[in-house]
Amino acid sequence: MLLTGRIKNNVPRRLLFIFEFLALFLLLIYEAKVPDLKTVLNALALLVIVYLSNLILIKVSSGDNYIFQIATMLVSIGAIMIYRMDPSIGTKQLAWFTVGILCFYMTYFLLKHIRIWDKITYIYIAMSYILFALTFVLGERKYGAINWIEIKGVSIQPGEIIKILLIFIIAGFYSNYEKYKRKKQLSYILIGIIYSFIGLLFLQKDLGMALMFYSIFISLQYIYEDDRKLILYNIGLFIFSAILGYFLFSHVRIRVETWLNPWRFINDKGYQITQSLFAIAEGGFFGKGLGLGYPHFIPLPYNDFIFSAIVEEMGIFTGIGIIMLFLILFYRGFKIGMNQENKFYKILALGISVLFAVQAFIIIGGVIKLIPLTGITLPFVSYGGSSLITSFIALGILQVASEDLESRMKIDEEES
Amino acid sequence: MKKKVKMPKENKRIITVLVALCSLLISLVIYISYFQVFKAESIKENSYNKRLWINEENVLRGSILDRNGKVISYSEKEDDKNIRYYPYGRLYSHIIGYSYRQYGKSGLEKEYNNELLDINETNALTEIKNLVLPKSVGNDLKLTIDHSVQEKSQSLLKGKKGSIITMNPKTGEVYSMVSMPDFDSANLDSEWKGIIESSESPLLNRSIQGLYEPGSIFKVITSVAMLETYGIDKNYLCKGKTTVEGYTFKDYGNGVHGKLDLKGGFKNSCNPYFVEKSLMIGKEKLGEVADKFMINKNIAFDLDVKKSKFDYKKAMGKTKIAASSIGQGDVLVTPLNMAMMVSAIANGGEMVKPILVKDVINKNGQTIKTNSTEILSQVSNNDAVEEVKEMMREVVVSGTGKNASIKNVKVSGKTGTAENASGKSHSWFIGFAPYDDPKLAIVVLLEEEGTTGGKGAAPIARDMLIHGLNNISFAEEKIDN
Repeated sequence: MLLTGRIKNNVPRRLLFIFEFLALFLLLIYEAKVPDLKTVLNALALLVIVYLSNLILIKVSSGDNYIFQIATMLVSIGAIMIYRMDPSIGTKQLAWFTVGILCFYMTYFLLKHIRIWDKITYIYIAMSYILFALTFVLGERKYGAINWIEIKGVSIQPGEIIKILLIFIIAGFYSNYEKYKRKKQLSYILIGIIYSFIGLLFLQKDLGMALMFYSIFISLQYIYEDDRKLILYNIGLFIFSAILGYFLFSHVRIRVETWLNPWRFINDKGYQITQSLFAIAEGGFFGKGLGLGYPHFIPLPYNDFIFSAIVEEMGIFTGIGIIMLFLILFYRGFKIGMNQENKFYKILALGISVLFAVQAFIIIGGVIKLIPLTGITLPFVSYGGSSLITSFIALGILQVASEDLESRMKIDEEES
Repeated sequence: MKKKVKMPKENKRIITVLVALCSLLISLVIYISYFQVFKAESIKENSYNKRLWINEENVLRGSILDRNGKVISYSEKEDDKNIRYYPYGRLYSHIIGYSYRQYGKSGLEKEYNNELLDINETNALTEIKNLVLPKSVGNDLKLTIDHSVQEKSQSLLKGKKGSIITMNPKTGEVYSMVSMPDFDSANLDSEWKGIIESSESPLLNRSIQGLYEPGSIFKVITSVAMLETYGIDKNYLCKGKTTVEGYTFKDYGNGVHGKLDLKGGFKNSCNPYFVEKSLMIGKEKLGEVADKFMINKNIAFDLDVKKSKFDYKKAMGKTKIAASSIGQGDVLVTPLNMAMMVSAIANGGEMVKPILVKDVINKNGQTIKTNSTEILSQVSNNDAVEEVKEMMREVVVSGTGKNASIKNVKVSGKTGTAENASGKSHSWFIGFAPYDDPKLAIVVLLEEEGTTGGKGAAPIARDMLIHGLNNISFAEEKIDN
């Protein structure tokens, strides 16, 4: 049993390597000149990082081996595309990837060995508000939204950190639900806190993040809230605020208008989405080939529109592949959640899985014009430190949750 | 105990959320596949897609030549930019069209874009070839158009609205095709606003995109249907009008023709005659013959052609059938379709596919694509076609089309005066010459001209036929025979 399990484990890892090898080979030859040393080194670095980190994980963790492989596959696709568009940014992405993996292991060990995380919900709430306050005080307007702060030359996006805190807050609340339930109004207070987050994101014009916060909240509330009418209130409140937002804020109206008919605004408001659609249409099912498309015609091809850039050169089949990777990641995350006995980690696992699925849906749905476009990053694939690091932190939490924590705790208790 | 009761409910909810979010992700896959299959092609064509112009900058767009090799459009490189020239501005506005970054593409510039820029279906091999051997010059198009005939058509139609098409009834080669009002392909920047705002729709290629009531030229089809129907009495006594279910049909000029057979009815274009006979033919037969003349059918051409309409399959009252038999009522046709109709009569019943682009020639002078003559339809049996052909000769000799006659060439034809919603009739003439060995078929349509076909369109057709027969070299076609 053990043996066959191991062999099966190797198959996806090998496929990952074949993909990376072929893509990097294409990257090296597409300009039809002698491959430069820098690209060769970067390619080797990527292969080594991916190989080693996967190998170490098998030794370290008794939990799920696939989720990390899925993440490294997604990062590889993204990093190769980014490198092809701009080698210097691609090299940076590789550095962020390394930092991300370190953060993954750090999160993994911290969560596994320190066990106070479900008892400090108030601290998460306080930290979230402090981060919001910081954003408003130090925030910079970037691409229309004030969601970046710059500290000593490093841009960070506090919203990315708050979205993890949000999951901790909800998990902290519902894992202590039996205790809190006696005070009935506490569920209302939770709704109040989360809507205040959503409201603040709205004011920062960060609609994608607001939508994601709401999705995570409603999913977990649906699973754990005993007072079922609250869920209806929550949905009602969301619809009400969406309508209110549409009429109050012009930036919400623009999103909807450019979704319904971007071609009317092709020169200004609809420029981004139409350029994205051109890229996807040009890609076809098999893509133009790495290096043969024009991803630079798309605005923000490294960040929000990376999916369109990938589809143009690697084809819709690769696009579908990326969606499927998120689907498997999400499915495994939920399976991890269902198998986890410890309620706090169980909710964390579910919350993080919802996070990955919804974030992927919002941005991919946006760039293919299935839903209105709201700018957020595609987890693991898009360029950027904040996005990559928080994605890996979230993955680290999921990795911990995939292990049998209850029986371990019992052993710990017996030993002490 | 308590925990065990709760667990299944919690898991059920987890599965609900799992299914809901999986469906969202699957919907992405479905939508993106739908997008690729049904929408991508048309989106790619949008002129804001910068990728379309990448080739434009790297490849010198091919030239367009008339049948005698005269260059009627070309590109030149100036300061690293490729500039397109249309030396004859308005003359080819509806054939060549235009290729502008701001306004997109139309006409042959659009339909033959890939040939002009030498873009092939991409596959790995051609991609590699393109990388190694950068292309710089596109392919040329050699048209069937005769520049001097085109110029003559334009000058005769100047100031009017409508269309003139001349073509070879045996090979389908189009010698000229003019639609008025036109626009200047060379000066779109200054004219664009006026073109867009004009109520006369100058961008519309009336020859192939305009749908018109054919009026009496449709009697060609009605006559064929009548000749194919066994046992119809061809004699009739015309008293100037006839009434069908309370609706009175009479002639445009209120003439009384007296005793008539089919030949007399046709040459005098007697409406009461055809109205009475159409009720004996019936809509099914009339429709069946119309279909053979490519009415209700898509016509494959180098430019996009609208479908002519005669919806005989729906329920029709007697009045409607009668009106349709004289080209009013429910019949709408394109001038090109009428040119093909008259060509089929001239060509012994074989209707050929119209051709506008003869050859595609690459930069080394090799022909890489040729459009050759194709028979689309056998419109009727030989006897019926011969009889209609003779009747058409009579129209020009002693009937409504006398204005189209030429001293030493036998011209055949049919006039049409079509009433329409505007209150001013369309003036039609279709014809061919010489009668014994047809070389040139013609259709002239003057939109909302307010005169009869005999007065308005026939003299123009006459001038066109004289010019065409004198100037076109028909040598190639003779070798074919």
